[in-house]
Amino acid sequence: MSYLEVKNLKKVYSSHKGGTAVEALKNVNFSVEQGEYVAIMGESGSGKSTLLNILAALDKPTAGSVRLDGRNFAEIREAEVAVYRRDNLGFVFQEFNLLDTFTLEDNIYLPLVLAGKRYPEMNGLLEPIAKKLGIADILKKYPYEVSGGQKQRAAVARAIITSPKIILADEPTGALDSRSTDELLRLFSEINEAGQTILMVTHSVKAASSANRVLFIKDGEVFHQLYRGQDSNEQLYSKISETLTLLATGGERA
Amino acid sequence: MKRYYYPRLAFDGIRKNKQMYVPYLLTCIGMVMMYYIMAFLKSSEMIFNMRGGRSIQAYLNLGSWVILIFACIFLFYTNSFLIKRRMKEFGLYNILGMQKKNIARILLWESIGIYVVSLGLGLLFGIAFSKLFELGLLNLLNAKVDYMLSLSLHAILASMAGFLVIFFLLYLNTLRRIHFSTAISLLKTENTGEKAPKGNLLIALLGLMLLGGAYYIAVTIKEPLAAVMLFFVAVIMVIVATYMLMISGSVVLCRLLRKNKRYYYKPQHFVSVSSMAYRMKRNGAGLASICILATMVLVMLSSTASLFLGQEDSLRNLYPRELVGKFTMENMEAVSKENCAKLCAKLDEACSESGAEKRNFFGYRRAAVTVLFQGDFMNTDPELTGDFSLEGVKNITNVFFVGLEDYNAVTGDTRVLGENEVLLYEERMDYPEKTVTFPNHVTYQVKEKVDQFMDRNVAGELVIPTLIVIVPDFDEDIGPLVDAYGRYSDHTKYEPVSVSWNYGFDTGLTTEQQIELNETIYEKFHGPEGESEFGIHYFSVDAREGERADFYSIYGGLFFLGIVLSVVFLTAAVLIIYYKQISEGFEDYARFEIMQKVGMTKKEIRKSINSQLLTVFFLPLLGAGIHMLFAFQIIDRILLLFELNNTLLFAGVCLLCFIVFGVFYAVVYRRTSKVYYNIVSGGRA
Repeated sequence: MSYLEVKNLKKVYSSHKGGTAVEALKNVNFSVEQGEYVAIMGESGSGKSTLLNILAALDKPTAGSVRLDGRNFAEIREAEVAVYRRDNLGFVFQEFNLLDTFTLEDNIYLPLVLAGKRYPEMNGLLEPIAKKLGIADILKKYPYEVSGGQKQRAAVARAIITSPKIILADEPTGALDSRSTDELLRLFSEINEAGQTILMVTHSVKAASSANRVLFIKDGEVFHQLYRGQDSNEQLYSKISETLTLLATGGERA
Repeated sequence: MKRYYYPRLAFDGIRKNKQMYVPYLLTCIGMVMMYYIMAFLKSSEMIFNMRGGRSIQAYLNLGSWVILIFACIFLFYTNSFLIKRRMKEFGLYNILGMQKKNIARILLWESIGIYVVSLGLGLLFGIAFSKLFELGLLNLLNAKVDYMLSLSLHAILASMAGFLVIFFLLYLNTLRRIHFSTAISLLKTENTGEKAPKGNLLIALLGLMLLGGAYYIAVTIKEPLAAVMLFFVAVIMVIVATYMLMISGSVVLCRLLRKNKRYYYKPQHFVSVSSMAYRMKRNGAGLASICILATMVLVMLSSTASLFLGQEDSLRNLYPRELVGKFTMENMEAVSKENCAKLCAKLDEACSESGAEKRNFFGYRRAAVTVLFQGDFMNTDPELTGDFSLEGVKNITNVFFVGLEDYNAVTGDTRVLGENEVLLYEERMDYPEKTVTFPNHVTYQVKEKVDQFMDRNVAGELVIPTLIVIVPDFDEDIGPLVDAYGRYSDHTKYEPVSVSWNYGFDTGLTTEQQIELNETIYEKFHGPEGESEFGIHYFSVDAREGERADFYSIYGGLFFLGIVLSVVFLTAAVLIIYYKQISEGFEDYARFEIMQKVGMTKKEIRKSINSQLLTVFFLPLLGAGIHMLFAFQIIDRILLLFELNNTLLFAGVCLLCFIVFGVFYAVVYRRTSKVYYNIVSGGRA
């Protein structure tokens, strides 16, 4: 059995007044092995965000199942979902989602504090991470005092400090300039090399080309996937571009 | 369609923000209503015609101005929340190509709409409730009532004009805010945390010193007159200190809490402490306002309620018997025993004419002088005793000389005094010396201090500390003093020693008969013949029942005003709390959403909200309680000026007010925290 298993996932949104139902996900199947770095690509409206919300346990599928490390999401009770999310999942968002009432340090501690950890322990966890992410000097600053790249690195620190089973990244480079984007992607690769499983949703080819495997979603289904194999980032980049062109021009399934 | 474009935009704006506008409208309506009622009562014929009605209407006039000014300040405060909330919307209009003058037009329609609605409903409710308030007031005053509903054109016009000015000012203020902002700044919503104000610790220390000073004044003042003089100084000091302390104090507190890592990094404190620190200045100002309003309500309500409840006491303090009188005589000869017996005979004459029987009679001779004690010496230099500065007022003492014979007769005591010995009775003072030296430099030994003079303190003058000196023989010991320093001495050099014969007795007659008898007594002594026959300088005779209506009108009027203003201030405090919660709720919404994504459970959110609200809510209540505790004594002293000498009653009323207020506050807390929770959890609670 794979580490993350998504089976026959289906999500239908229907408005309350009994109007038209929208099928966001038709039938999604894929799996992710431990230590993998997977990117999911797709255009706006392809169902990416719905998929991510379900993987993040923020939303429930209409049908199908998600299993992480053998645990079926459907079995988790409503009251435990938040705790499960905090302990097992790490998040990196496009808009960083840092709280402006906290310093970067406290933002990073947030999930640990919620888990009831003590300060010395948290501080011990943070030190190596902060050094690795290059934010050790700005930990005492507030989000509105630092750049977007620094904010995103703090958000990454927050995601990995709990040693989650998987990191879910939603367009992590969407709000970054190109230099910060490069830096962040390099960090992701490093973190992944250290054994962290990462699942990233993006429509940036550049971001996707740093992953080991790329899934393409179209109209609520996994349409295609690419493996890095021995390719360099640049080679993967051009393969992704070709696939996207194919998808856009309505090519048949490969 | 085009014609109604602006009114419609204005209406939509209000409708879409109803969570903010409904309370605002209610405030406006409430303020108009209260103002109308006050304006109505102050020109009510019914009140004007009753006894003491004029003094009540003077209070009501004052009250109506207080309400108008308060309404102005308070509506400015609440309106600023509304503007802030709508800035984004105006920014959008601006970017979509609407000029500022068009926005001004929308706002004009909006202001007109709010004015019309609040005035219309306010006046409607005002008219409906004015009768209720009138009846309530008349009931407090024990006056006769009729049940005709009436309205006052004058009051309606006054409300329309008063609030037109207020709303116009509000409109101008909004325009000013819009004018000085650009489209981008209107749209911009990024929040940055507040920086701690510079010299924060200094402000905190200064606030602490001010508060300490105010408390020191409040606790150490013993003399009622000085209390009045210093009360308002202390009030201002407390208000300023509360703002300083709540603002800078909350910053310091947050900093300390954050430094305490074991406390700070706990799930229930982590979020609340940081968001308090984030808006510490605004928070502090809001808390201080609530605290001060709460204190005002407590002070007003408990003092006026005590006066009202204690008015029978006060009446008995001033008039220890049903009928009392005081004859101030020309000289020592006129206050001779024989002469006083003649006065007494006249009283008996009046009584037998009215068929009354004298009961509980007392009559005694008294010499009175205002002095400044220097050691044991009673200095009567007018330069010193006429000093109504703070220091002067503290040290001035009334001295009453009474003969031992009268003392024993009045109190039923059987004391004996040797030559050059006196007994002392202290009223609101502590006489430290072992001897007393009279103004004519004769010195007496203090044999003993006695703890009674009359069964009620007829000494009456509660305002200034009073020392009653009981001398062995009134004529022998006081005669020389009165001769030398009496009415005909040089008053530029000495305070005059005045002599009087005082009486009091009960009759067992009906109220009307008592008042009638008092008239008869008055007639016996009235006029040049009566006065010269006995050597009366002037005299006053009073029937307690005759004074009762005046008492009720003053104390009832004050109590009424206290209730009305308390309601107004309380409403204000509640609205401040409400707006604080709503505006913070909107700010915190995004934050709690993020926290939920990161893995905060609903339960944890509730917990952290509770921790935050609890601090925010009960800090002002605690502050108000402490203020009240320290203000207790000074207010108790001031109540003496109103002849209320019943600390126990006042304490009880204070406690009751605080409990009632606390319960009310807790209810408000529950309601608003629910609103807050609904907002931050996106209405999904």
